[in-house]
Amino acid sequence: MTLEGALGPNSRLDDAESVRIAAPEAICVNRSGQLMLSSGRDVFRLPQWGYTPAHWANFETPVSALAASEDGRLAVGLADGQIVVLDEAGKPLSGWIPSTPPRAVADCLFLPSDEIAIVDHGYGSDEPLLSLAPWDSKARGQVIAVNQTGATRVIATGLHCPMGIAAHINGALIVTEFERARVIETSGRTIQAGYPAYLGRIRKIGEGYALACLARRDPLIEFLKTERQFVARMKANIDPRYWIGPRATPEFSPDFPIELGATRLFGEVKPWAPSFSYGLVIETNPDLMPIGSAHSRANGVRHAISDVMLWNGSLIAVSRASNEILKLARQDVP
Amino acid sequence: MGPRFSQGKEIALTTQIDFASLPRVRVPRIVVSPRRILSDVLSKGWVESAIPFTAFIFVLIGISIATTGYFKPSNLADLSQYAADGGLTVLALLIVVAVGGIDLSVGSNFAMSAFVSLYAFHILGLPVWLVLIVSLVCGSLIGAINGILAGLVGCGALLTTLATMITVRGLYTLASQARLVEISTSTRSDDLWDWIGFDKLLGMPIGFWVLAIVAVLVFLMFRQSRFGWHVLAAGGNRKAARHGGINVKRTIFFAYILAGLIVGLAGFLFAARQNSVGSDTGIGFEFAALTALVVGLGGFVPGRGAVVSVLIGFVTIYLLTNAMINSGLRGDFVQFALGSIIAVILAIDVKFRKNRHRLLASTYLDPVALGIEPAKGVDGLMPHAIAPKLKHATLIGSGQVDGPEDVILDSDGNLYCGTRDGRIMRFAAPDLTKVSLLAKIGGRPLGLAFDAEERIVTCVAGMGLLRVSLDGKVELLTDQTDRSLFSVYDDTTIRMADDLDIAPDGAIYFTDATKRYDIGNWGLDLLEARPNGRLLSYDPKSRKTKTVCDNLIFPNGVCVTHDGGHLLVASTWTCSILIFDLKNMAAGPRVFLSGLPGYPDNINRASDGGYWIALAGMRNPVLDEIMTMPGLRRRMTKRVPPTNWLFGNLNIGGVLKIDGAGHIRDALWDAPDGPLYMITSMREHKGVLYLGGVTNNKIGRLVLPGANPAWTGPGSYWKKA
Repeated sequence: MTLEGALGPNSRLDDAESVRIAAPEAICVNRSGQLMLSSGRDVFRLPQWGYTPAHWANFETPVSALAASEDGRLAVGLADGQIVVLDEAGKPLSGWIPSTPPRAVADCLFLPSDEIAIVDHGYGSDEPLLSLAPWDSKARGQVIAVNQTGATRVIATGLHCPMGIAAHINGALIVTEFERARVIETSGRTIQAGYPAYLGRIRKIGEGYALACLARRDPLIEFLKTERQFVARMKANIDPRYWIGPRATPEFSPDFPIELGATRLFGEVKPWAPSFSYGLVIETNPDLMPIGSAHSRANGVRHAISDVMLWNGSLIAVSRASNEILKLARQDVP
Repeated sequence: MGPRFSQGKEIALTTQIDFASLPRVRVPRIVVSPRRILSDVLSKGWVESAIPFTAFIFVLIGISIATTGYFKPSNLADLSQYAADGGLTVLALLIVVAVGGIDLSVGSNFAMSAFVSLYAFHILGLPVWLVLIVSLVCGSLIGAINGILAGLVGCGALLTTLATMITVRGLYTLASQARLVEISTSTRSDDLWDWIGFDKLLGMPIGFWVLAIVAVLVFLMFRQSRFGWHVLAAGGNRKAARHGGINVKRTIFFAYILAGLIVGLAGFLFAARQNSVGSDTGIGFEFAALTALVVGLGGFVPGRGAVVSVLIGFVTIYLLTNAMINSGLRGDFVQFALGSIIAVILAIDVKFRKNRHRLLASTYLDPVALGIEPAKGVDGLMPHAIAPKLKHATLIGSGQVDGPEDVILDSDGNLYCGTRDGRIMRFAAPDLTKVSLLAKIGGRPLGLAFDAEERIVTCVAGMGLLRVSLDGKVELLTDQTDRSLFSVYDDTTIRMADDLDIAPDGAIYFTDATKRYDIGNWGLDLLEARPNGRLLSYDPKSRKTKTVCDNLIFPNGVCVTHDGGHLLVASTWTCSILIFDLKNMAAGPRVFLSGLPGYPDNINRASDGGYWIALAGMRNPVLDEIMTMPGLRRRMTKRVPPTNWLFGNLNIGGVLKIDGAGHIRDALWDAPDGPLYMITSMREHKGVLYLGGVTNNKIGRLVLPGANPAWTGPGSYWKKA
């Protein structure tokens, strides 16, 4: 897929209303309809759009995932691979400690079987995932499920950097893979592939889904992947910080190369310029075919969309690059 | 920490440069690369004839294998005896096709002219020179009829010449039947007439020499004469030729006349040789000529006066036919074989022409490994380590100048810069807010310098070295240098004059950054990383341009040192500054400074005896790695769209301050998203630094605390206040 048709450029993300919040990562909607949002080590709640987010809970390590159950509990994934379950008042509940702890909690989801499905992409909090994953041939990700007693079962293993999970209409669980740019069932069956982006979380939106995309794919990187000698030398000689790959922020930095079409003219970056960071939310039909999209292009700042949610009829998205929660104007989707 | 400037002291100015102790730079004498030779050959015009020429060679080989004694001098002389009129007709046709027409009447014209010659000789009894003139007039008249109808009136060339073909053929048949007996029974003989028809000069028939002379004349006409150029222009693009002021109709008219004249000459030669005409004279002649033309040109290609090609095509067809008939093959089989061979030649030729540009494009970029020394001497000076000093800069002319690559100030403090649309702009002192046009030159003005008479000398990419006086008078100093000895590509023309400086004796040293790319795609030179540039000099006294040092890697900024004895030249892709000894330029460059953190552009003097170096972009680990992998870069340019090619980071840049001995003393950066990003030039003037950027639309102005408030560039160079 290319950024054409339903995925054609627009400025919906740049035009969206926003709430500024430090280091946002995940959002979810709890039983009482409040938007729960993570901000570094804290979780805030937002009763309604336009209110100031209220502090709700605090953790020792940064929050990496959020999920709400239908009975009001909230699962909080932490950067060190822990998972904490809290009741509606914010009081931690005992249990839910997996017998074999995952390396990371990229996303989580309450299952009907009163388990929590945990997406583990396999990269520690000290490893720059955006740099590493595109060049990693190892599939080190997995999806596990844990219940309150700590009983853990492996739902799927051998996934390549899974980032998000959602329940499919047919009852199966579907997972996004960051680098492989596809949505698969936990059985391994590919449902839809070839998205023009590095996928983040996936959320059920009405009839279909919304995909939060961390960056768009780039022909240069796709080409460099075929250059084995280059990949080996980059891995051997260069600090992963400087590796070429998708990036979370659109900064101008002397540490990174650019692409020929991305040079500034009169100080400005052209919106259509190639860029290693990008803001993109893809809306799909039930078969996961794109039917709409929201962009923040090369000259925008609302890049690295890590989460997306339907809340009170509006699409809410998290922009990691601009430290904002965005409320997108609804777009009529055919 | 702030910039360390000595307050007006001259101590640093006496910094001695120990040239001999600096490391040498290995500058290649010649650059040999099979890929480059291929691409240079492919970009030559004559490569268009490669396939006809190959076919010709094959035919020669084939004949020499299949026959014996075919290429004996006597047989060749015989062959050329009969080839002359055919060859002349092909040349006539070439002129008409070159102007965008076609002439089907050459066969009829040929027969008519031959008849007129015989009539004039045998029946009118005119002297031979007059017979020739009458024959030429006959041919030209028929050409003029074609010219009037097809050229002036604008009837189609095909229809017009079809009509004249039929009409003249009818006229010829009537006339020749009425007078043929008279002609064939005539007993007049003439030595000159027989000499033309049968004799040899230097072992070759007269007809051959006539053909050779006409071929040379037509060749010269297309190459050198105004009319020839007009013919090619009118044929290439009629509308453009008309817009260019060419009288297209008249050109076409004269082209037809000229073609008729040549056919008339062919008829005369035929008459002298055969002394008779028949009802079949000239029948099918036009098609034989057209076939030869098509084989030589690869189709009906207007606007191409390829004399050699069409003659090769003609000889190929002529020999092939002749050899097959001589070997006793049946006439219809000869036709069949000839047609098939022509079809094969044409198919290959058309395919080759169609894909030549693709082949050229895929072979043109010719990368080589370039290991760049790691950045050094900038610890604690990199953007993440120090505060961005350019944040304090104010902006001049925002939105009023498009791409001021270089900026310069005169002794009165007026600021000048070049722009992308080929102008030199002036910001008036003292407040530099009012911008006005100094001169419009075209091209892409880059480097600027003041000479001793305070005139601006500028390097203009695509044009060369120009001088602009402060009253706006523009003068081209030079646009050519000597051709380098071993290159297929003609590198006489200065392609991308980049920056210059003027030595105390008035000699202008300037760089031609790359001989292979234009200003529009100079970035490809980075991906190539070959020594494509050169340092040139121009002496205003003798008006001579010389190549001082060829095969440098993107030589960019040029600066004469404070002592006037050395020349600093930035080598952009190698992230280093080279130094030359002005007293001994032949000794070649040495490394003054290497391992810069970015890509150096212009270098200019600082008031404290040091120098300012503009960094147009920053290097980074991934690009440094890829610069050592030429195969990868070549594959990238083939498989990845150009906008996605990996490139140096030109979105962030800065200025380095070095001392007179070449140690980096300070670095000026803007905030990462600040307005001063790709800095290509900076000038110090009275304690203020002015900054230009080739992709920017503004000029930065930074007050330098502690700098000599009296120092100016013209003062430093020419001791003016």
